[in-house]
Amino acid sequence: MPRSLTVDPKKVRKSGTVSVPEIPVNAYSRTLKQEQKRYGDDALKRVYYDMLTIREFETMLNDIKTQGEYQGVVYDHKGPAHLSIGQESAAVGMCVNLDIEDFIFGSHRSHGEILAKCYAAVARLDEKQLESIMKSYLGGDTLKAVEGQSYDGVRDLAENFVLYGTLAEIFGRKAGFNRGLGGSMHAFFAPFGSMPNNALVGGSADITVGAALYKRINRKPGICIANIGDASAGCGPVWEAMMLSAMEQYRTLWPKDVGGAPPMIFNFINNFYGMGGQTAGETMGFDILARLGAGVNPEAMHAERVDGYNPLAVADAIARKREILESGKGPVLLDTITYRISGHSPSDASSYRTKEEIELWREVDPIVSYRAMLSENGIATDDELNAMQDKVVAKVTQALKLASDLDVSPRPEASVIETTMFSNTPTDSFGEGEAEVLMPLSENPRVQQLTRKARYAFDENGKELSKMKVYAYRDALFEAMIHRFYEDPTMAAWGEENRDWGGAFAVYRGLTEALPYHRLFNSSISEGAIVGSGVGYALCGGRAVVELMYCDFMGRAGDELFNQMAKWQSMSAGVLKMPLVVRVSVGSKYGAQHSQDWSSLVAHIPGLKVMFPATPYDAKGMLNLALRGSDPVVFFESQRLYDIGEYFVKDGVPEDYYEVPEGEPDVKRSGSDITILTIGATLYRALEAADELQEKWGISAEVIDARFINPLNLDPIVESVKKTGKIVLASDACERGSYLHTIASQVNRLAFNYLDGPPAVVGSRNWITPAYEMEDVFFPQKEWIIDTIHEAVLPLPGYTATTVQTDGDYVRRYKAGV
Amino acid sequence: MATEVLMPRQGQSVESCIIVAWKKQVGDAVQEGDVLCEVETDKATFEVESPASGTLISVLYEDGDEVPVLEQIAFVGQAGEEPPASGAPGSGQAAAEAGSGSTGSAAATTDSADAPAAGAEPGTAGAAEAASDTRSAATDAGTSAAADAPRSGAGDRSDSVFISPRARDRAERAGVPWQTLAGTGPGGRVIERDIEAAMAAGTVATRDAAGRIGAGGQAQGAGSGAGGRVTSADLREGATAAGATQDAGTATVADGAGIAGAIPGMQRDRSTTETKLAGIRKKIATRMLESVQNSAQLTLHASGDARALLAYRARLKAAGAPYDGISLNDMVLFAVSRLLPRHPALNATFDGTAIHAHGAVHLGMAVDTERGLMVPVIRDADLRPLASISTEARRLAGACRGGNITADEMAGGTFTITNLGAMGIEMFTPVLNPPQVAILGVCSIEAKPVLKTDGSVEHIPSMGFSLTIDHQVVDGAPAGRFLKDLSESIAQFDLLLADTGLIGGDS
Repeated sequence: MPRSLTVDPKKVRKSGTVSVPEIPVNAYSRTLKQEQKRYGDDALKRVYYDMLTIREFETMLNDIKTQGEYQGVVYDHKGPAHLSIGQESAAVGMCVNLDIEDFIFGSHRSHGEILAKCYAAVARLDEKQLESIMKSYLGGDTLKAVEGQSYDGVRDLAENFVLYGTLAEIFGRKAGFNRGLGGSMHAFFAPFGSMPNNALVGGSADITVGAALYKRINRKPGICIANIGDASAGCGPVWEAMMLSAMEQYRTLWPKDVGGAPPMIFNFINNFYGMGGQTAGETMGFDILARLGAGVNPEAMHAERVDGYNPLAVADAIARKREILESGKGPVLLDTITYRISGHSPSDASSYRTKEEIELWREVDPIVSYRAMLSENGIATDDELNAMQDKVVAKVTQALKLASDLDVSPRPEASVIETTMFSNTPTDSFGEGEAEVLMPLSENPRVQQLTRKARYAFDENGKELSKMKVYAYRDALFEAMIHRFYEDPTMAAWGEENRDWGGAFAVYRGLTEALPYHRLFNSSISEGAIVGSGVGYALCGGRAVVELMYCDFMGRAGDELFNQMAKWQSMSAGVLKMPLVVRVSVGSKYGAQHSQDWSSLVAHIPGLKVMFPATPYDAKGMLNLALRGSDPVVFFESQRLYDIGEYFVKDGVPEDYYEVPEGEPDVKRSGSDITILTIGATLYRALEAADELQEKWGISAEVIDARFINPLNLDPIVESVKKTGKIVLASDACERGSYLHTIASQVNRLAFNYLDGPPAVVGSRNWITPAYEMEDVFFPQKEWIIDTIHEAVLPLPGYTATTVQTDGDYVRRYKAGV
Repeated sequence: MATEVLMPRQGQSVESCIIVAWKKQVGDAVQEGDVLCEVETDKATFEVESPASGTLISVLYEDGDEVPVLEQIAFVGQAGEEPPASGAPGSGQAAAEAGSGSTGSAAATTDSADAPAAGAEPGTAGAAEAASDTRSAATDAGTSAAADAPRSGAGDRSDSVFISPRARDRAERAGVPWQTLAGTGPGGRVIERDIEAAMAAGTVATRDAAGRIGAGGQAQGAGSGAGGRVTSADLREGATAAGATQDAGTATVADGAGIAGAIPGMQRDRSTTETKLAGIRKKIATRMLESVQNSAQLTLHASGDARALLAYRARLKAAGAPYDGISLNDMVLFAVSRLLPRHPALNATFDGTAIHAHGAVHLGMAVDTERGLMVPVIRDADLRPLASISTEARRLAGACRGGNITADEMAGGTFTITNLGAMGIEMFTPVLNPPQVAILGVCSIEAKPVLKTDGSVEHIPSMGFSLTIDHQVVDGAPAGRFLKDLSESIAQFDLLLADTGLIGGDS
C-alpha cells in the first residue's frame, strides 16, 4: 500500500532541476553484414516481398476506389479505404521480430500492419499449426474461398488466405476475417496476433494498455504494440493510456514475480499529418514526437525516433525495446517516422502539401531503396525480385477476383449481426488453475463481519433494524465481487480508490486484504483509459471489473463505453468476447456534475447490457449474473442505496450464490389499479406513493422495478398493464430522452387496447442537478408520481396537486427546451 | 354563401345515422324542403330536407355511410359555387334539433367562427377518407383543404367525447352508452371507472343504445390488423361495402339454372340470393345474439280461460266506433300493465351488476315490420285506461310500419309483450329484450279440455302465455306467480277493468 511510500516534505521541497534522459533520434547504425548475419538473406528478401505485397494490395484498392478496376477486374467498393502507400517499411519492419503471441493493435490505416503481422506469422508457424488455424477459423469459411485456387504449399495458401480474408473483410463479405462486420478500419486476425484496429484516432492506446495488463497479470508471454498516428498525441485518452501504463506501482507495489509494468509500446506511426493537419509545425508543439516520453516518467518511456523508411531500423528498435518490456521496465514510446505518399483517402486532393514534398519522399521510397540495397549487395537478383513482383500481382489479383465476386463471397445475413451482438456464454472462469488470493475467504475480516449482520431489514416483530446491524446493498455487491475473485483467476478490478480506500463508497472494503495488488489496484484518474484498458483486458480473454466513481464521469469515457466496449463483439463477428463489467455509481447530493442518472445514455447504445439494481437481493444476484457473463455490462449502482437493507425478500439476502434471471423486471408490490414502474432508487419513492394512494384513495398500485434496461423482458410489464390499465414510469434520469419513454412507447404498442390512460413518465427535470437541499425540485418525489397520476391518468377526487405535472406545462417545458 | 346540410339528430340518444340513399345528386337544383336524402337509424328511416333553395353543390358522404348526428353531410349553394373548405361554415352545435318529428328536416347554417378540426370518431374519419376519393365537388375543387371537409364536420365539437381504449372495451362489452357519459378522466376523457359507475347506476337502454352508437365507425367482423385489430383499411372497406350494398341491392348467385330450365313451367327464380345485413336487420341480428349470450333465459308456459276476454271483445265490437278498435292484444297489454306493479321482480332491468326495479310500467310491444322486428314503448301504461293503451299501441305500430318512429319512442321499456297468437302459435320462447328481465309471449287461443267436478270434460278457450325471464335475476317462483296472476286476471277480465287492485297477486 502507498503508506509504505512516504511523501517526505524534506525531499519534495528540496531545490534542484529535472533532468531528462537524452532521447535518441534515428540512432540505427547497424551494417548490412550484421543484419545478414542476424536474419539471414531469405528473411531479408522476405521483408522486400512483404513490403511489395502491401504496396500492391493498397495500390489495388486505390485503383478500385479511383478507377473501379484493377488488372481487368471491375469492382465498385463504396466503403472506406485509408491507404498506407509509402508506409510499408514501418509495418513490415515492426513485425520482423514479433511472434504470434505478440499483439499489435492499430488504426483506421492498418491494412499494411494486418498483412505484415500475418505474413510474419505465416513465415514463423509450422505448417500443421497454419492448417489447423485456417481450417478452424469461422468454420473454415475463409479458407474455402481460396483453397480451390492453385497454390504452392501451405505457406503459399496461407498467404492467399490472409490476402483474401483481409480483402473480403474490407469489402464486407461473410468470409472476411470478421464476417464483413468490421470492414476496412476494423479488420484484424487474432490467431496471428493482429488485434483490433480502431477507427477512433488513438482508440487503440488504452485498449493496448489493457491487453498488456492481461499479459502481465495472467503471466502470459508476448508484448503489445499500439500503432497509433502522430496526430493521436493530441487525444486525451492517449495521454490517459500513457499515464495508466506508466504507473510506478507496477514496480513499487506489485508482487515482483508478476514482472513489472505492462509490456507495451506506444508506436506512433508518424507520417507527419493528421488528415491534413501537419503535426510537427502546425497542429502540435512537440517538434519531435519522441520528446513526449520525457513528460511521462523518468525513463522518458525509453523513447526514440526511429527511421520508419528503413525496415531494418524499425525491426532493430522493436528487438531492443522488447528486452526493456520483458524486464518489466516499460512502457516504451517509439516515434516511427514514415510518409504517406497516397492521400488520407482516395478523395484527398493533398491540398495541404506540395507536389515537391511528395516527390522528395518518392525519391526515398522505402521499397525502391530496399530493392536497390538487396540487388546492389547481391542478396537477390533482379530476376528474383521481378518474379516476386509478378507473384504479388497475381496473388492480389486473385484475391480481388474472389473477394469481389458475390457468388464466391456473399454478404453476411443480417442475422449474423444480431447473433453476434452478445456472446451470451456464462463462464465461471476464463482462466485455469487457482485464483491468486491472500487468505481463505472465511478469514476475510469483512466476510466475518457480514456473518453478524441481519440479511433482512426488519426484525421478527416487523421493526426496522438499525443501519449498523443490517446487511446492506454495498455488502451485497461485495459478496458478488469476492465470490467471483475466488472463482476466476483472470478477474482483475481497477479504478479510482479501489484498493486501500475500499472504493469511494466502501463496496470493496475487505478486498484489499484478500487480493494481491495485480488483481485489485488503483488507477490514475483516467476514466477513458480505465474503461478502455478494461476493454483491452477483456477482449484478450480476461474478466475485468472497472469502476467509474460517479455516473457523471461517463462523459470522460464516452468513446470507450460507446464505441469500444459496446461494439467489439459484433465488429469481430463474435471472435472476441467482452467479459467487462463497468460499475457506475449514480450520485446524489453533490450537485450538477456528480448527481446525474445517465442510464438512458447507455440504453441507446447497441451492444451493452445495462443493469440497475435497487435492493440488496437484486444487487448481489445481478452482479453475480454480470460477473459470470461474457458480455459487456454497464452496472449502475446508486449512492442513495448503498446503506439500504433488504425490504422485500423476507428470508433475507441468501448467503449462497444465486443469480437474478437476466432481463426480468420484478414486482416489488402487487396491486390491481395502477402500475408504477421504476428504474433505480426511485423505487422507494414509488412505494411511498403507492402507500398514499392506498391509504387516501383506496387505489391499489402495483410497483415494478425494471432492474434491467437491456435486455428487458417487456411481458411482465405488459401483463401488469393489461390488468391495471394504467402505468406511470419513474426514474431519476432526466425526463427528456429517458429510457422510460422507450418502455412507455412499447407499452402503448403492446397493451394499447387495455390502456385506460396514456403511459406517463416521471423523470428528473431537464435541468442541472441543484444542491442537495433543493433536490426535491429536481428529482421525482412521491408527490410528482401522485400528481402525474392525477393530471394525466386518473384524476383523484378532491385532490390538489402540489407540483405542476399538467399537459400544458409539459408543452411549455418542451417549447422552452427545459 | 353555401348552406350546410347537417345530419339531423333523431332523438336524444341517437348518435349517428346511416345514409340510405341520396335523392338528389350534386348539381341538381333543389327547393327548400325538397328531400335530399333518406337516412336511417337502427329503428327508423327519415328524410333530410334541403334547408335552402339553390343547387346541391357537394355531398360529403355516400349511400351507406354512417354519419354522426349534427355533422355536415352536404352543401346547398349557387350553381358553380365552390363548397366551403374544411368545415368552415361552422360546427354543428347550433343546428336545430330534429326532435321527435316524423321527418328529419333539421339543418341549419351557422356562423360559428370556430373551424372544427379533427375529433370525429375514428370510423367516421375513415369512412370519410375513403369516400373522398370519389365524392363531391369538394374534392374536385382541388383545394387542399377540401379533402378534409368531411372529417372536420364532426370536428371539435366541444361535446366530443373521448374514451380510453380500455374503457371503450368495457363499455362495449357491458353495453354502456359511453357517448352520453361525463368522463372523469383528464380533460373529461371517459375512463374505466366511468363505465363502472354507469353500470352501477344502471344506465338504461344500455345495450340497445350502445350497440346502435357502437355501430358508428366500427368495422364489422374481425379486423385485418395484427391480432385481429381493426385497421383503417377495415373501416374503409366497411364503408365501401355498405355503399355497394345500397347500389346493388342484393347480389344473386346463379344456382341450378340447368335443371330449372329443363322442367317445363318452372319459371320461378330458383337462384340463391345473398342479402348483406344492414340497418335494422343487422342490429336485430346482433342484439338477438347478444341477448341470448348475455342472459340466462328460461321460458315458462301457462294458459288462462279466455272466455271473459272473448266476451268483452264481442261486446266492444258490437258497440262500434270508437270501441271496436280495442283488440285482444290491447286487453292483454292492459292486464299486464295492471299486474306488473305487483310483480316488481319482472318489471325490472339488469345491467350485469345491479337490478333496477321500476315503479312505472313502460310496456314494450313487438311490432312486425317490413324492415324487421321493432319494439316501441307505451309509456306509463300502468296509468292509462284501456282505450288509451289501445290508441297508443295503434299509433306506435303505425309509426313503426311507416318508418317514422323515433328512437325515443323505442327507448326505456321496462317489460315487453310479443304476440304471435294471430299466427296460431301455441307456445314459443320469446327472446329477452335486454336490459329487461322478462318478456311475455302471447299465444293463440286454443280450446283446452278441462275436467269438471262432475267428471265431465269441458273444452274451454284458453289463451296461451309464454314468459321468458332472465334466470340470472328472476327466479322461477315469482315468474310462476306472475303467470298464475295473469291467467286469473284474464279469466276475470271484467273485474280487472274495475282496476280495484284486488285481483290475484301476491300482495
